[in-house]
Amino acid sequence: MSVTTASRRGPFDIHARLADRIGQPALRILTTLAGIASVAVLVWIAETLVNQSRPAMSAFGLGFVGHTTWNPVKSTFGAGAFLYGTLVSSFIALLIATPTAIAIAIYLTELAPRVIRRPVAILVELLAAIPSVILGLWGIIFLSPFLGNHLEPFLKSFLGWLPLFSGSPSPYGMLNAALILTIMTLPIVTAITREVFQTTPGELKEAAYALGATRWEMIRKVVLPVARPGIVGAVILGLGRAFGEAIAVTQVIGNANQVKASLFQPAGTLAAQIVNEFPNASPGVYQSSLIYLALVLLVMSLIVNIAARVLVRRRKVG
Amino acid sequence: MNIKVHRITMAATAVAAAGAVAACGGSSNSGSGSASNASSKTLVGAGSTLVAPLVTQWQSPYDKATGVAVTYGAIGSGGGIEQITARTVNFGASDAPMTSSEASACKDCVEIPWALAATDVAYNVKGVPNGLHFTGPVLAKIWLGQIKSWNDPAIKALNPGVKLPSTPIVPIHRTDGSGDTYVFTNYLSKVSPTFKSKVGSATTVAWPGGIGGKGNSGVGGALASTNGSIAYIAIAYVLENHFHYGLVQNAAGKYPAPGVPSILAAASSLKSVPAGGKQGISITDPPASAAGAYPISTFTYVIVPVQASSSVATPLKKFINWAVTSGQADGPKLDFAPLPSRVAEAAKADVNLIK
Amino acid sequence: MESSAATQPHGLLTPAPGAGRRKAVNKTVEVLCTIAAALAVAVLLLVVISVLLKGLPAINLDLLTKNPAAFGQPGGGISNSIVGSAILIAIASLIAIPVGILTAIYTTEFAPARISFGIKFALDILNGVPTIVTGVFIFGVLVVGGTQSGWAGAIALSVVELPIVARAAQEVLDLVPRSLHEAGLALGLKRWRIVLRIVLPTALGGLITGAVLGVARVAGETAPLLLTSSIWSNLSYTTNPSQALPNIPVTIFSLSESPSPADHAKAWAAALVLILFVLILSVVARAFHERSRSRLRG
Repeated sequence: MSVTTASRRGPFDIHARLADRIGQPALRILTTLAGIASVAVLVWIAETLVNQSRPAMSAFGLGFVGHTTWNPVKSTFGAGAFLYGTLVSSFIALLIATPTAIAIAIYLTELAPRVIRRPVAILVELLAAIPSVILGLWGIIFLSPFLGNHLEPFLKSFLGWLPLFSGSPSPYGMLNAALILTIMTLPIVTAITREVFQTTPGELKEAAYALGATRWEMIRKVVLPVARPGIVGAVILGLGRAFGEAIAVTQVIGNANQVKASLFQPAGTLAAQIVNEFPNASPGVYQSSLIYLALVLLVMSLIVNIAARVLVRRRKVG
Repeated sequence: MNIKVHRITMAATAVAAAGAVAACGGSSNSGSGSASNASSKTLVGAGSTLVAPLVTQWQSPYDKATGVAVTYGAIGSGGGIEQITARTVNFGASDAPMTSSEASACKDCVEIPWALAATDVAYNVKGVPNGLHFTGPVLAKIWLGQIKSWNDPAIKALNPGVKLPSTPIVPIHRTDGSGDTYVFTNYLSKVSPTFKSKVGSATTVAWPGGIGGKGNSGVGGALASTNGSIAYIAIAYVLENHFHYGLVQNAAGKYPAPGVPSILAAASSLKSVPAGGKQGISITDPPASAAGAYPISTFTYVIVPVQASSSVATPLKKFINWAVTSGQADGPKLDFAPLPSRVAEAAKADVNLIK
Repeated sequence: MESSAATQPHGLLTPAPGAGRRKAVNKTVEVLCTIAAALAVAVLLLVVISVLLKGLPAINLDLLTKNPAAFGQPGGGISNSIVGSAILIAIASLIAIPVGILTAIYTTEFAPARISFGIKFALDILNGVPTIVTGVFIFGVLVVGGTQSGWAGAIALSVVELPIVARAAQEVLDLVPRSLHEAGLALGLKRWRIVLRIVLPTALGGLITGAVLGVARVAGETAPLLLTSSIWSNLSYTTNPSQALPNIPVTIFSLSESPSPADHAKAWAAALVLILFVLILSVVARAFHERSRSRLRG
């Protein structure tokens, strides 16, 4: 077969074969190199951070992660306060975003009229395309005065007995950062949850309806249980996004190195601390400690992302 | 067989890629100091945000007069010292003199005083007028979190007749390495032993609380939007944004307004200027003999390596010479005091150390 | 109906005390879900509309064509940031788009299944690396002992862009029907010809989608640039990537923190330029995506 095609090509035969001889391995090598480069970057990132945080590691060890002192004057550094800020702001964000995202996904897959399903889904996903620096700008100009003058005094007057809502309201602080992170993670969690909902087998839903279930009962007993691993994966993925957000959080969190129960108080996060101090940290233990912060952040995002992918993938296979 | 061959090519390409990666890393590192190889038509500097208004003011007339474009990044004094140490810029600018470890890391750098300015205490409290009186120890207690509300007896006692609300005080500080932070903490450490032992004095310190802002501009932003807040900000930014500012008691017990005359008064309290460009000159909390002196005044420095690269040395010397002489005339409209002649002479001598 | 539900054996449905209550619960949930969706759309509109309302009055020819004014001077614009951003995005895309598409071709055409899976996984993880960490990485590799530069900034952006382009390309290459390969092989064509002549043209729409999404994503990236390309002269044009290049995201970031209303106005105007660019790209990408998907699927 190949012989006949080749002979039919006549005079081009040699050229074609020559091209094949170069082109085939060339494409193969080129693409292989690209594939290796893509993986190598990840390894290289980890290697660079580990290498350059070594001075801080030898000075503070693993205790760095939990230590809450960050004092450039005395060259004592610890990630504790920032780790706390990162975890608390992200968890609050997901606490608000998750039920909202599930509700939106239910609306989009079960309730909305067919014509508006796609447009609404697209609008929600476009929210993810807004650059974080713009959300931060919006947070500074619109959200912070609203929080400082209205929402926080309101929360304080009703729930002020809770340590979470004690203290004086402030336009910049943990609550502001958490709300901005909510807006950022909402579209991610919504998109994945919606996709997972759409894969619920139709027969199961119909069976539930046939048994007399209301729409909510069908969702609660059929859709949600089937989707649970996927939703958990989506939430973890959102958490990963929230952990790593640097700019918008820096703009609104108030940047204070402190652990306070009150959500009104300024705080700091790992990523925001790097934004604040990295450009002017003197080389040595100081800069190395900031790179150590980046390493802690990298490890957190690796764990979270691997967990999320495994969960989402398992759902797809199973 | 086929698989085996494939594995071998994979391994080979992996090795090749690793080599390429290593080569890349190597070449990028050896490509350092490209700023110092820049043509002599440009000078790149970075550092203090306090001096930034003055340097940007200089750029355009200097370019017109000499054809040399000066690039300046306002990244904070700590950043300025870091960048010149790494030689990524031609000059660094800092309001804080280098610490001894910074100076040794910088390897033969001179710091030359080239501007004279002040850090102000500005506040934003609804219903409270401009010009509240403060003393150093009261300011120290505010930033330590020991004075918590605006109607604290300590503030009331200094301001009889002013109606002060019970609004909580929100102290604002700089998050980036800053000369303003250095000057301010240097002053507070001089007047408050508690502050000295708890916080200390540096371009970045561990504040006990409050809100952080990036750069003078970021601090101003937080100040403008937070009722009850108080911040230390370079004087040019205070006037530019029409903030209310406080009057701080000096050693003579007076409350001079921050401005060119009171900054000059602080500078002239200086008895001698150390030569050789190796140590800073502190004029915070000047003695009572300088009755009109503003107590949080500071020299700000340009930091340059003695061994500048040959293409840069001449334009760099020219620029700094121009800055400490003709350039001073641009100062007063931005509330920079002109350098006293004794200091300007010392600065010119320091410039000649550059080879 | 109701009673049969209550008595059915497997307990799929909890016995309901009364149809009225169950219907009320159902209605409440439906209303809540609708409100949630409305809320999300409202937040998007709120952000976009405030950018429009604040940005439109601030936009004028000066702003788009002039450099920033000196401290304390009125006027001035952001043209140096627009030009700088364009250069940074162009360099980043020139690196990320070819490498991303080549990686995708490797995983779908050449790599054994396990390696292909590994690369896809690594790309997903790379996509999840916080961009500030990418900034620290590029700082550590290219800036330490050297200088901030447009090159460093662009390479940092390309690291962010690469996994987006590669994963989108993989997705669409996977959709190219195997029958096209087989037809090519039957004609005696080598793999590389099949890829270049058949697979890539078929998948072109999807590849463009991925590239456009990648560009949209890095156009607004601020964190990596803050560490790699944020020290620049305000008053003069820099188009030389061996110096730090001014760019829109870092400009918005620093203007946003300023106390001055004039700076805020400029920040909003810059935000409007950026958000229009990003949203238009996202919508275009989506349109391409739908088209190429429906063509490939069937």
